[in-house]
Amino acid sequence: MTSRSSRFNPYWLLVAPAVLLVLALYVAPIVNVLLLSVTDPKPGLGNYAKIFESDTVANLIWRTVRLCLITTFAAVFLGYVVSYAMLHALSGVRRRMMSILLISFWISVLVRSFAWLMLLGHNGLLNDMLLSLGVISEPLPLMRNEFGVLIGMTEYMLPYAILPLLANMQGIDPRIASASRSLGASSAQTFFHVFLPLTRPGIIAASLLVFISSLGFYVTPAILGGGKVQMIAEYISVQLLVTVRWGVAAMLATLMIASVLALMYVLNRFMKLSEIFGGAAR
Amino acid sequence: MKDNAFLNDLAREGAIAFKSGRLDRRSFLMLCGLAGVATLAVKAGDAEAAANEIVMWNWGGESEKCHGDAIGKPFTAKTGLPLKFDTSGPLQGKIKEMVDSGKVTADVCDADGFDAIALGKSGHLEAIDYNIVNKQQIKEGSAWEFGVGVIFYGYAFMYDTKAFGDNPPKGWADFYDTAKFPGKRSLYKWANGSIESALVADGVTKDKVYPCDVPRAIEKIKSIKADSLYWGSGSEAHDMIVNGEVVMGMIWQNRGKTIEERTNGRYKMVMNEAIAMPGAYIVPRGNPAGRDNVMKFIEQALQVESQLMILDCLGMTPSNPEAFAKIPEAMQPYAVNSAQNIDKVIFNDPVWWADNGGDAVNAFLEAIG
Repeated sequence: MTSRSSRFNPYWLLVAPAVLLVLALYVAPIVNVLLLSVTDPKPGLGNYAKIFESDTVANLIWRTVRLCLITTFAAVFLGYVVSYAMLHALSGVRRRMMSILLISFWISVLVRSFAWLMLLGHNGLLNDMLLSLGVISEPLPLMRNEFGVLIGMTEYMLPYAILPLLANMQGIDPRIASASRSLGASSAQTFFHVFLPLTRPGIIAASLLVFISSLGFYVTPAILGGGKVQMIAEYISVQLLVTVRWGVAAMLATLMIASVLALMYVLNRFMKLSEIFGGAAR
Repeated sequence: MKDNAFLNDLAREGAIAFKSGRLDRRSFLMLCGLAGVATLAVKAGDAEAAANEIVMWNWGGESEKCHGDAIGKPFTAKTGLPLKFDTSGPLQGKIKEMVDSGKVTADVCDADGFDAIALGKSGHLEAIDYNIVNKQQIKEGSAWEFGVGVIFYGYAFMYDTKAFGDNPPKGWADFYDTAKFPGKRSLYKWANGSIESALVADGVTKDKVYPCDVPRAIEKIKSIKADSLYWGSGSEAHDMIVNGEVVMGMIWQNRGKTIEERTNGRYKMVMNEAIAMPGAYIVPRGNPAGRDNVMKFIEQALQVESQLMILDCLGMTPSNPEAFAKIPEAMQPYAVNSAQNIDKVIFNDPVWWADNGGDAVNAFLEAIG
C-alpha cells in the first residue's frame, strides 16, 4: 500500500505545465505583492500592528465584515425563495426565469449601480412617484448611504446565491417529499424537517460563495455609499494610488486572502468542498 | 485598452530591437503577428519615433483634445515631435510603480503640485531644466525643482438659488452652517480642499491655513457629517448638485462654470475662499523622449497663447502671470488667477500636502466613514 502510493504517478507530468504556469504567473507575483506588507515602508510587522493600533483599520475591517454578512444573509434568503419557486415552476417558466437571472448576471456592476440610483435615488422613479402621490413630503433617503449599498450588493449577489441553491435542490429526489407527505407530515413539516435539512449543503455553498465574493466589493459602495461607506477594496486602492502606502495595502490584501483561505479550510473540515462546488461526488 | 497598450508596446519594442539588430527578422514578424499588427504599420521608421514623440499622461475626456490643440499643435510645429496621450490618470501610486518597474512609457504627467514635491523627494522624477523652461512664465511659488505649476484649478462651491436665492451663502463659514442654511452638502472625498474649507469655516484666516490643523478641520467636518455626502469624481459632484441631492456642493471651479451655464444660473458658484490648486507637469525619471524634448514641451505649455487656449477649452486658469491680464471678460468670474478672484482664493501649499497628505487623507476617510 505504502509502496504504491509513494511511486511517482506519471499523470502529474500532464498537469505539470498548468501547475508551473499558475505558479510562475499567478502565485509568484501575488507573493511578491504580499511580501510588501512586511517590507514596506520598513521591514517588520508594523503594518499588521495597525489592525490593533489604528481605529481606522479596525473599523474598516469590521464594517466590511458586517456589510458582507448582512448581504450574505439577505441574498441567500431571497435566493432560496427564488430557487424554490424555480424548482417547482413549469419547465417553460423555469427556463424564462433562468434567462432573466443570467441576463442580470451578465450586466456590469457599474450599470447596475447607476440603475439603482435612477430607481431609488433622490430624484429617482420611486421617490418621484411617492412625492407626486403625496405619500411622502421629502424624498426617502434610500441611496448614498449604507442601506443603498446593501441593496446594491444584495441584488448583485443574488445569482451567486441562486445558482448553487438551485443545483442542490434539483439533486434532491422529489419522491422524498411525497414520501414524507404520505407518512402524514403536513406541508410545513415536510419543508422544515425534510426539505430544508437536505438543502443545507446548498445553503452553505451559497453563503460561502456570496460572502467571499462580497469581500471584494468596490464599485457598489463607492457609488451608492455617497463616500461614507468605505470597504476594504476601496481603501486598498486609495492606499495604493493616493496616499502611496503600499505596505498597508498589501497588509489588507494579505488579510483578505488569508481569511478566505481560512474560511475554505474550516469548511472543508466539515464537508467536502468538491461536493459543494458540484464536483464528482454525485 | 490595457491590452492594446501592451500590444503596441510589444510591436514597438520589437521594431526597435529589429532595427538595432538584436532581433532577427523572423522573430520580429512573429511578434507582429502576435500583436495583430501588420508589419507595414510598424516599420522600423515608426519605431524610431517611439523616442521621438511626447507621450502625455492625463485624465482623458476633453483634456485630450484641449491639450492637443493648445500645446501639442504649436509644439509639433516647432519641434516636429508629435504629441500622444495616455488617458488613464497619473495618480501618485501609478507613477511610482511605473518608474520603479523601469518601464517608463510617459514623458509628462498632468498631476498635482503635491505629487511633484512628494515624487521628487522620493527620486521618481526628472529635475526641471530652467534653462529651457522660463521661470518668469510661472506663477511665483510654483516653479519647483521637480515640477512646474502649469495651470491652476480650484475647489469652490455651488448653491441652489431656489433654496437660498434671497440670502446667498458667501463663503465656507456659511457652507458649514447648517442652522442658517439647512440642507445637505457635498465635499471631495479624498480630503483636498475639504480640509482647508473646514479650517476657513472654523475661523482660521486665509494666511494661517497652512500648516493645516488637521484635528481641528476634522472636528468641523464631523459637525456636518450627518448632512453631507462625498464625491470622488467631477461627474459625481455634478450629479449631486443638479439632481438636488445637496443644496450646496463643493465643485471643481471649471465644472461649476459648466453647471451654471447648463442650468441657466439655477445653481450658482461661489469663488470666494476657493482653494486654488496648482496643476503640475512632472516628468517620470527616465522618460523615453529624453529630458530636453520634454522640457521644450513644458516650455510651450507656459506660453500665453497655449495658456489662454487651455483656459478656454478646459477652464483651467493660467499660471503665466503675463496671461492673467488677458483672461477674457466672460471667464473672469470663473478663473482662479483673474483680477477679481486672485485675492479672494486660498493658494494650496503643495509642500505641506506632500509631507502630510497621506495622514490627512486617512484621518479624513476615518472621520467620514
